[in-house]
Amino acid sequence: MNLQKVISGFFFILAMTLNFGFFYGDMGAPEMHSTYELFAAFIISLIATALKIGDKTQIGSVLLATSLVADIQLISAVIVWTVIEYTSSMTSSHMATIISLSGGAFLANITSVILYIGETLKSKR
Amino acid sequence: MRDNALWIILQRLRIPLIVIIVTYTIAILGMVLIPGLDDKGNVYHLSFFDAFYFISYTASTIGFGETPYDFTYPQRLWVLICIYLTVIGWFYAIGALVSIISDKTLKQELMRGRFRRKVQKLKSDFIIILGYNYVHAEVIKKLTTAGIEVVLVDHDADRINFFQLEESSMGVPVMVGNALLTATLEDAGVKSPYCKAVVSHFFKEEKNLRITILTRFLNPNVNVITKATLRDTIISLLDTDIAKVENPFEIFGKRFDIALTAPHILTLENWIYKNSDLADEASFLPQGRYIICGYGRLGKVIKEKLDKHGMDYIIIDEKGIGSRKMIKNETFIRANADDKDVLLDAGIESAVVLVAGTQNDIDNISILITAKKLNPNLYVIARENTMREISIFKSTNANWLFMIERILINKTSLQLSQPLKHAFLKKILHQDEEWGTSLVNLLKVQLGDNPKLLHLTINKNRAYAICHAIEKNESVGLNILLNSLEDWKKYHKAIPLFLKRNGDEFLLPSNEILEVGDQILFACDSESREEIEIIASNVYDLHYVRTGEEKQNWLLRKFFHSIGLDRKSDELL
Repeated sequence: MNLQKVISGFFFILAMTLNFGFFYGDMGAPEMHSTYELFAAFIISLIATALKIGDKTQIGSVLLATSLVADIQLISAVIVWTVIEYTSSMTSSHMATIISLSGGAFLANITSVILYIGETLKSKR
Repeated sequence: MRDNALWIILQRLRIPLIVIIVTYTIAILGMVLIPGLDDKGNVYHLSFFDAFYFISYTASTIGFGETPYDFTYPQRLWVLICIYLTVIGWFYAIGALVSIISDKTLKQELMRGRFRRKVQKLKSDFIIILGYNYVHAEVIKKLTTAGIEVVLVDHDADRINFFQLEESSMGVPVMVGNALLTATLEDAGVKSPYCKAVVSHFFKEEKNLRITILTRFLNPNVNVITKATLRDTIISLLDTDIAKVENPFEIFGKRFDIALTAPHILTLENWIYKNSDLADEASFLPQGRYIICGYGRLGKVIKEKLDKHGMDYIIIDEKGIGSRKMIKNETFIRANADDKDVLLDAGIESAVVLVAGTQNDIDNISILITAKKLNPNLYVIARENTMREISIFKSTNANWLFMIERILINKTSLQLSQPLKHAFLKKILHQDEEWGTSLVNLLKVQLGDNPKLLHLTINKNRAYAICHAIEKNESVGLNILLNSLEDWKKYHKAIPLFLKRNGDEFLLPSNEILEVGDQILFACDSESREEIEIIASNVYDLHYVRTGEEKQNWLLRKFFHSIGLDRKSDELL
């Protein structure tokens, strides 16, 4: 067993599941999506990115790319939410924008996890 | 493999980044969860934005104060924890970043990257110099003046810094690296089609050999210019087929040999190296008894040449052991040459030439002074091992200084920057004294004591007019270039010394028919130099010196013809 693999696997999958948790629910209903969950998804996604940095292999580069995509989508969602919170009031259409952004991030996270599993299966050790 | 530097930074940044993210998260989450009181006493929670804003300026120790409302005591307790947590995390990350930037490996990698890019950008012929020492410093100066690009590698960062203070370092790619490694040579561009030569003059001759062999396998089209004085090394170097070996002792021996038989050839050589002018007769060795102090590599070479010409000599050396024959003939004294009595024993008063040729510069100077006192008319050849004592040697008035480094500098820079002159020199060294005397006299009479040299290549760039004429199948003789522009029947002062065409070499060419690609070396003064260049490149001037008539622009001629000014315009021009 490789401790490094456990930690990175843990964060990659946690990033995906938290993202899903935030994404799941009625698109237009603000009460079905918790800010705390978005916050957690965002932070874990950042940590996952940091863990992927500096890997020179081919698969490492693609993993980093997926993570960066997820980060960008999540940070957009966070910024949109903050701006709306402080400038106007939250409507269901605003909420739908935030949720669809996180949906995009969720897809990127799925790709990342699939790649990660693929790489793990490929390794002989 | 290309950008190692970037990967090093990224990999080292992993932990600091995670530390910042985690400490911020803990702090922000706490701020959001702990309830506070607003100005009206209502309970409220900081939003994520408020918390992030607050932590950002707290963690970076800016500290704007408590927003949006004054904090309650439970909040302040948490802020206290946050401050220590985030500030430490932040400082740790910054510290890590700074230490990465000042990291030696990273600097080395950055430098290597820069060096590699610079070398790849070189799109003209360049020369790789390995090691920065006195010889190479001079060679680099001469090469850059001649417009040849150089690349420098040295294992010592201090010496590279020293080089970068020099004027000649502008635009020269430099790297700190071990020249004995294949990777370094590859970085320096040894595989590039523009790389013409590798120059390696390490004191340790195995290093030179190693570099030559590596280069041979990396790119067999590159020449290696190197130094070797030991027989075995020279043979191994020559076996690689790409080495141009410079053995300063052998070179000096050859000069000494020539000085005994044809000193005017040496005068010519010194003039081409710009060591002295044609009136210089320093290398004219007198006939008589020779005293050689020091029986090392230099002493052996000189003895060999003296034997060849049957001269009378005696060798003094403290450590060396002469052969039985030498002791029997009383041509070897085992003693310290820096001793008045020993010199007297050797017959200093009746000797004509003294060679101070030990490995120690101070010994040489001391021998020289003692000997001059005993016999002021003595002709002295002094050996100088390093250039550090050059000023002292100059003030001792030695007639002929043997400087290993000077020989290497001259030889290396001439064959790299002016191959035509080098080929000419090689050729004249085989000529006899009669030839040498007549050429020196001819040059002195025609052009004075210090004529200039002009190198002309027949190509579109340097000699457009001649190329143009050759393309039209007109035959152009070399002498055309010597006609005066003022009066085509007269000649200006230049003398063609050497013509090189593909594999053929002509010494003192007469009226050869020129071909495209010919390289000609002229001795000339500044006026005739200009004339040659003008005749070679200007169609009108070439026409004049060939026919004595002005060539006219056909459009102008038609114009003048039509208005009836045809004759007058001829006169006017």
